[in-house]
Amino acid sequence: MTASPPAIAVAGVTKRYGALTAVDDVSFAVHRDEIVGFVGPNGAGKSTLLKMLSTFIHPTQGRIEVDGLDVVENPLAVRGRIGYLAGDTPLYPKMRVDKFLRFIGQARGLQGGELAAGFERAVDLCGLGSVLLQRVEQCSTGFRQRLGLAAALIHDPPILLLDEPTHGFDPLQVMAFRQMLRDLSPGRAILFSTHIVADVEAISDRVLIIHQGQLLGDGTLGQLAAAAASPQAGLEEIFARLVQAAPLSSEQP
Amino acid sequence: MKDQDGLTAAAFVRGIGIVFGRELGSYFDSPIAYIYAAVFLVLSGTTFMNSFFLQGVVDMGPYFEVLPFLLIPFIPAITMRGWAEERSQNTFELLMTLPLHSLQVVLGKYVAALCFYLVVLLGSLPLVFMLVWLGEPDLGIIAASYMGAALLGALFLAFGLFASSLTSDQIVAFVLAGLTGFFFVLSGHEKVVEVIDGLAPAQQLGTWLYESVSVEPHYEAFGRGVIGLGHLLYFLLMSGFFLWMNQIALQRSKF
Repeated sequence: MTASPPAIAVAGVTKRYGALTAVDDVSFAVHRDEIVGFVGPNGAGKSTLLKMLSTFIHPTQGRIEVDGLDVVENPLAVRGRIGYLAGDTPLYPKMRVDKFLRFIGQARGLQGGELAAGFERAVDLCGLGSVLLQRVEQCSTGFRQRLGLAAALIHDPPILLLDEPTHGFDPLQVMAFRQMLRDLSPGRAILFSTHIVADVEAISDRVLIIHQGQLLGDGTLGQLAAAAASPQAGLEEIFARLVQAAPLSSEQP
Repeated sequence: MKDQDGLTAAAFVRGIGIVFGRELGSYFDSPIAYIYAAVFLVLSGTTFMNSFFLQGVVDMGPYFEVLPFLLIPFIPAITMRGWAEERSQNTFELLMTLPLHSLQVVLGKYVAALCFYLVVLLGSLPLVFMLVWLGEPDLGIIAASYMGAALLGALFLAFGLFASSLTSDQIVAFVLAGLTGFFFVLSGHEKVVEVIDGLAPAQQLGTWLYESVSVEPHYEAFGRGVIGLGHLLYFLLMSGFFLWMNQIALQRSKF
C-alpha cells in the first residue's frame, strides 16, 4: 500500500432508502496505480456505492472523498476527475456514436484540439472505428458497452469507476478489456464492480467483497484467503466462506 | 443547494449550450416531433381559417384566442419526454454525473424545448402574410400577440418540464402537465370563474384565481396590444418558479 493520500476514500458510509439499508457502514480506500475489484451478488450494494462515488446520489451517513474532494460538497469538481460507466450502460439510442462521444467530451469540458485528441484516443482504445456513423440503437450489446467505456475515458480521467464493465462482452472482448485496464492502470485508480469472479481474479490488485450492503473483505486474494482460513481457496470459495460467517441483517430484502 | 463548485458565467452558459444542442437535435431526430408540429399547424390553421371565412375580418385574433386551448395538449406532448425519458432509459444517471450543474441541464432542456415551440409557432406566419396581402391588419397587435403566445408557451413548457421531472412515466408527465395547463387556462374563463365564485360567494375564490393565478388576463392583454410590465413579470416569474422547482426536484432525487 502506498503512503500517498488515497484517490478514493470511503469512511463509514451508509445509504438507506426508507427502512432498507442498501449500504451499511462501509469504509475503504483506493490508491493510484491500483485496480480494485468490487465483488458481490446482485443487490449486494455495489452499484449503490458506485452511484455515491459518482455523486449521483448522496450517502445517508459517512463521508466520501474523491481526489481529496468531498462528493457532496464539490460534486462538479469530483465529476471532472472521474470516468464513470454506470450499470446498464446508459446511452442515447437515437444519437450517432460519434455525436454521442463528442457530446460527452464537450460536456466534460473538452474543446478544439483536446476534444479531437480525446475522441481519437477513446475510439482507438475501445475499437469503435467501425461503428462511428451508426446510431447507438443499431450497435450490438458489446459495442454499446465499448461506447460506454469510451465515454468514461474520453477526458483521460485519473479515477475510473466501472459498474459491471464486461457485461455483454464475448470472451475475446473480455480478454481485451482486461488488458486495456492493465494498460490504463499506471497513474490511475480503477474501481470496478462485477459479479463475475474470474474478472476480479484476473486483473484486480485488491478485492472488496460486499454482501447485503456490508463490506465482508478488503485485501489481496492471498490476504482474503488467509482471513477465510483457507490459503488455497479461490475467490468463489473465499466469498462463500465470508458470507456464511457474516451475521444476517434483518433489514435486508 | 449543495453544489458549491464555482462556475464562471462563460462556463455556465457553455454548459447550457451543450445540453441545448443535444436536446434540440433529439427533437429533430425523431419523426414524432414533425408529426406534432404538423398536427398543431393544421389544427391552429384550420381553426383560424374557419373563423376567417365566417367573420370575414382581416385579423389574427381568432388564432390567438384558440391558442391556449391548443397548447394544453401540445406543450405536454413536447415536454413529457424531457425528464421522464431520461429516467426510463437510464440516461438520467449519465446526464447527472457529467460535470454540469443541474441548473445548466434544466435550462439547456428548457431553451431547446422553447426553440422547438417557437419554430412551430412561427409556422403560422403565412397566415400573417395572407392577411397583409388581403387587407391592412394591425401589425402592432399581431406582434404583441405573438409575444404573448411565446411567453404563454414558455410558461407551459416550464411547468411541463417540471411535471416530467416528477416521474419516469411519460403518460403521467403528459397528464400532469395537461391538468396544470387546464387549470391555468380555465381559471380565466368567465363561466368557470362564476361557478367557483358561486360555490363560496364570501371567499370569491374564482375571482381571486382569475386575478392572481390564471394566464388569461395577462395573455389577453398582449392580444389587445398591451405589453405591460406586470404581464411580462407574471410570465417570467411563473416560468422561473417552475424551472426552479424543476431543479429542486433533480436535487431531491439524490437523497
